[in-house]
Amino acid sequence: MSFLPLGGAFKKPKAGKHYLGPMQTLPGPMRTFDPKETVDYAVIGVGSAGGVLLQRLARAGFKVVGLEAGPFWDTERDWVSDEKGSRELYWNDLRITGGTHPLALGANNSGKGVGGGSVHWASFTPRFHPSDFEVYTRDGVGVDWPLSYWDLKPWYELLEREMPVAGPAWFPWGDPHGHPYGPHPMGAVGDVLIKGATKLGIRTVAGGPVAILSASHGDRPHCIYRGFCIQGCKVGAKASTLITHVPDALMHGAEIRPHAMASRVVVKDGRVTGVEYFDREGQPQFLSARAVLVCGYAIETPRLLLNSACPGHERGLSNSSGTLGQYLMAQAGNVIAGRFDELIRMYKAPPAHALTEEFYETDPKRNFARGFAIQTVGPLPIAFAKQMMAAKGVWGWGLRKVMMDYNHWSALGVLGEILPWQDNRVELADDKDRYGLPVAKVTFNLHENDLRLIEFGKQKTMDVMRAAGATEVIQESRFAHLVGAARMGASSRDSVCDKFGRSWDIPNLFICDGSVMPTQGSANPGLTIQALAARTATYLIEQGDAIFTSTARPMNEPAIRYDQSPPFTKFKGNPRIA
Amino acid sequence: MSDEKKLPYDAVTGKDLPPRETPGYYPGFSTMNQAGYWDDATRTTVKKRLHEVPPIRFFSAAEASLLEAMLARLVPQDDRTADRRIPILPWIDQRLFRNELSGFRYENMPPDQEAYRLGLTAVASMAEQRFSKPFGDLTVHQQELLLKSIHDGEPEPSHDAWDRMDVDRWWAMVLEDAVSAYYAHPWAWDEVGFGGPAYPRGYMRLENGLPEPWEVDEQRYEWNAPVDSLSGDTDAALPPHHGGSHGHGGTH
Repeated sequence: MSFLPLGGAFKKPKAGKHYLGPMQTLPGPMRTFDPKETVDYAVIGVGSAGGVLLQRLARAGFKVVGLEAGPFWDTERDWVSDEKGSRELYWNDLRITGGTHPLALGANNSGKGVGGGSVHWASFTPRFHPSDFEVYTRDGVGVDWPLSYWDLKPWYELLEREMPVAGPAWFPWGDPHGHPYGPHPMGAVGDVLIKGATKLGIRTVAGGPVAILSASHGDRPHCIYRGFCIQGCKVGAKASTLITHVPDALMHGAEIRPHAMASRVVVKDGRVTGVEYFDREGQPQFLSARAVLVCGYAIETPRLLLNSACPGHERGLSNSSGTLGQYLMAQAGNVIAGRFDELIRMYKAPPAHALTEEFYETDPKRNFARGFAIQTVGPLPIAFAKQMMAAKGVWGWGLRKVMMDYNHWSALGVLGEILPWQDNRVELADDKDRYGLPVAKVTFNLHENDLRLIEFGKQKTMDVMRAAGATEVIQESRFAHLVGAARMGASSRDSVCDKFGRSWDIPNLFICDGSVMPTQGSANPGLTIQALAARTATYLIEQGDAIFTSTARPMNEPAIRYDQSPPFTKFKGNPRIA
Repeated sequence: MSDEKKLPYDAVTGKDLPPRETPGYYPGFSTMNQAGYWDDATRTTVKKRLHEVPPIRFFSAAEASLLEAMLARLVPQDDRTADRRIPILPWIDQRLFRNELSGFRYENMPPDQEAYRLGLTAVASMAEQRFSKPFGDLTVHQQELLLKSIHDGEPEPSHDAWDRMDVDRWWAMVLEDAVSAYYAHPWAWDEVGFGGPAYPRGYMRLENGLPEPWEVDEQRYEWNAPVDSLSGDTDAALPPHHGGSHGHGGTH
């Protein structure tokens, strides 16, 4: 076959190099600790939070090892521009799902491999609103956070630079702010959202906020608008901790053990002493550590802590309150699809590139508390076929015919806040995984407020789609994201950990990932997870060796540190609005 | 079966549309012609899919032939020339053989492998009960009558398999597996006008549905499903619990 060679990244990856994006390679040989050595920190799960923690703790000189259940991706060799070929990015192992509205897991919301979910997130990076941290005080629903927006704000600003985030100069909702990198060019789906919303007098932002480079940054090139964000960004433009924080972690002496499936956090005399795990060959191993950070996300974190039950902790670790596994949340993720007479071609441009948060806050005129966002999505053919199946009930010739119109459809996603409910939970199932460990059983039920919110959000988004000129508008009910199930709180009676993720029961055990969130707003959780991780890391560094020896629980906020960021990010990219 | 119309027909002339290499509105468009512009890993993955169709290892010969007949109705390909039909059964077989899960199982469903076997047993016996013939020997119309009753969540005749697992979940699993195989194939990308892999070249015409210089613009024709087909409806209303049964990473 003949084609014009374009050079550059068309070159085959070089032998012996491990690629993190087309230009960045794994820095040098990774440090490896002696298997018998006691390290300072064991980080379980090198994902959105684990990557940031590993990087900062290594930079501060701690001996730190990350255990990652999945592979250590080489993006040039392992990743493809292909829907089906990307299935290994997800946590596909068995989980049982039930309740009145069972959650689809796996590809929908769980990553496996270094970088975790940040490898396959669409990378919308809105901040939570100030109101999200006090929904109980304001609306009498859910629960307040043990910290405020203003405590987290400096860490948001920091992580927006470390990723960095591209977006509009003026983001008008919540605490208004700008973004360090300029907004992306629009795609046809964003045009639909803006056109429809504008007709209805609804404000939108365009070209972000997304953790995708709109200009090159250090050794990462800018976006090429190929639309495969959630299949893993080979381009290296979309931020994942694999390419943003892990290289710096390794440069500073962190070790990552891929294919290491943690099976039990071990407790002795009231303190954790390390982690039992199965290595690549399925052999049981023990990593001795002075403190353990559990960063396995909203299902594997509670599962591991439940599976770690031992004398003195019969209900699982950090579960004296009984709330471990409870208050699991997913966001409403209804997809509204509209057919247009003109062509759209929604596979181009990042799925995430425009949104509105006009309906984010509680409106007393509506019959429910809290709200939702409307965001662009860009399903590729397989995902779109499944949506058409679910939304239209098509099969056979009808399915083939609808699919031939793929390029006439545009899709928008509702992102709706579902409140934390005690009966939405992670427990252990009777089924076992390949290591003989009980798998997670996930139960999810919608409650009255959730149902009203979803109905309103769905109708509003359909209105937008019609206003944009769609001649046929349909919807599919589904969910997006997972948070909660090991929530932080102000009191040990009704939460699993304190505001820094420290277990109420075991002073050298920390939880740091989406599972600590008490509520979720209607913002995508990725930025908040990483901001919380950076804050907890700085807290740990401030406390120094006291974490390993003391039971004291200082609650003062850590001072923001600008010297802990990865290279190329310090003060790079200046938001126009601070 | 001789009088059956199996081909879709031209909505204007009423004439059967003859099978084509690439049905759809993008004549001449071929994603594989662009493969030289793809990265190595992607090209290898897609070419393997095209040229290395896996053998049947999970299903028995009888199960395989029954499912093959079912799949011919779930994703009919009579409008494709014989050499350009997209294999589906081998990929489902491979998934079950390798125990490749989607990351979860509904609490009211048995493991996928068991669910497939149970459902196929039910379909076989429903065919015998209702039409006194094996499913594969039924007319297309009879096959579609049976399948539509499963699609509608009211299997006719009833079978005790459907007391042991949720009929809607079973239907969704089989059809999702089928479309996942079909629309993973570059020939299906050509059919729907999906540009396909685009690294490292990227896309540049992002707005207004414009084609890249190497893409083809749409050339529509109006067509309908074969006259006696029960699956031609492009909006087959469903009970509300059908939503969101799958785990694709399609959105946020």
